[in-house]
Amino acid sequence: MSTLQAIQRMMAEQFELKEEVLTPDAQLESLGLDSLSVIEFMFNIEDEFKIKLPDERVELKTIQDIANVVDRLVAEQQQGNS
Amino acid sequence: MVRRVVVTGLGVISPVGKNPAEFFDNLMAGRSGIKRLHTDFSDKLSIRIGATVADYNPADYFSKIKLSGIERFSQFALIAADQAVADAQLQLSEQERPRAGVTMGTGMGGASSLEEGYIEIFQRETPRVKPLTVLLTMNNAAASHVSINYQLQGPNVTYSTACSSSAIAIGEAYRQIKDGYADVMLAGGSEALLTHGAMKAWEALRTLALEDTADPAASCKPFSRDRSGLVLGEGAAMLVLEDAERAIRRGARIYAEIAGYDSSSDATHITKPDAAGQTRAITNALRSAGLRPQDIDYINAHGTATLVGDIEETRAIKQVFGAHAQHIPVSSTKSMHGHLLGATGALEFMAAVLALQHNAIPPTINLHQPDPECDLDYVPNIGRRNVKLDAVMSNSFAFGGSNAVLIAKRFSG
Repeated sequence: MSTLQAIQRMMAEQFELKEEVLTPDAQLESLGLDSLSVIEFMFNIEDEFKIKLPDERVELKTIQDIANVVDRLVAEQQQGNS
Repeated sequence: MVRRVVVTGLGVISPVGKNPAEFFDNLMAGRSGIKRLHTDFSDKLSIRIGATVADYNPADYFSKIKLSGIERFSQFALIAADQAVADAQLQLSEQERPRAGVTMGTGMGGASSLEEGYIEIFQRETPRVKPLTVLLTMNNAAASHVSINYQLQGPNVTYSTACSSSAIAIGEAYRQIKDGYADVMLAGGSEALLTHGAMKAWEALRTLALEDTADPAASCKPFSRDRSGLVLGEGAAMLVLEDAERAIRRGARIYAEIAGYDSSSDATHITKPDAAGQTRAITNALRSAGLRPQDIDYINAHGTATLVGDIEETRAIKQVFGAHAQHIPVSSTKSMHGHLLGATGALEFMAAVLALQHNAIPPTINLHQPDPECDLDYVPNIGRRNVKLDAVMSNSFAFGGSNAVLIAKRFSG
């Protein structure tokens, strides 16, 4: 499963949203997720992908944005561990 | 001209009912919501009884997205507020919103989220807590969600005076309208602290009732010689208060007029109740209502079932009401719904308002052994119907010594 698919699945589960609305370019806000819901979601993302979000804020507007950040952090942080 | 304040909507979620009709039916029938707790921590408690909201499933009321940001005590508040607003058929125009507000009482706010955070840090030693912990736990979260939900742009104030919190919230909302600062107020209280840590803290204080092993539901015994303390409960009650003229103009159903209110402080001891302080609140509430002691037809007592508290309240009532005290029915509905702490004043004022509406007095249950020092008419065990009630009083006396007394009367235009 790709990162994007895993995120879509998590979103569908956590927010009870239909998978078909969770397109890569879907705006988080239009899905009904305000900034606090996104913060809450990213907290679970950290657990799921065993990564740590940086302290500085990252701009997240779409599901693809989240997938990109996760892929980047996974690459960086796994590299750091090896 | 003095503005009059009326109650036009009621909402409640409690251990004895999830709407006002069910709530009052159960009170009149003497049904207790107190029971033995079966939670993941109850085996670690010495006293395992409580009054929970039975069969509560948040998903029945909220979407998953909403739930992640709304703590149990805020959920209860929103559920009760929703009922009250619908009951009042309340609609606010853009112009009216700045003159509509909310006041609420709570003791511990988002107790369970705070506790979860502590468990993460101190027990599991994880380096982080849920990102919304602050917003879930803050005491004003419930009132703020209510304000946002109904676009109430006027006052938004949370009172935390322990057991009198929501009586104060209603009283202060009444004053906001009476004194012309607002036209409509949602007022009430919410509490949800039946958590492992909070219950252990209460246990340590030695004010909780011991379990009646023969019948756990009968563990809270106000005014009875075998009383042993209070039983913790959870839930919320919210009322719509409205300027009487506005209510009449829109043809609203009026449950009652809030006739008077006052608060006082014992200023003596952090836990020990004081009849003198209580007397001041009762006397001043009567004065503010322009009523004489003999005008009060029913008192919903604070009646926590602690050894000292029930005697002290009895003494205060006798002091204010004199010979008439023997003729006033005084009941403690805590015997059924338990002590909802920050929500209890609102819940009990609602019971008094419903008593007025139905001309019916809910009983004090589990009162089988009269205490010579508690010698009033406590409406033992069986509720009374077909009584004529024109004015009712609700007492709330808190740890910390903060007393609040509310008086409602039948509205006559």
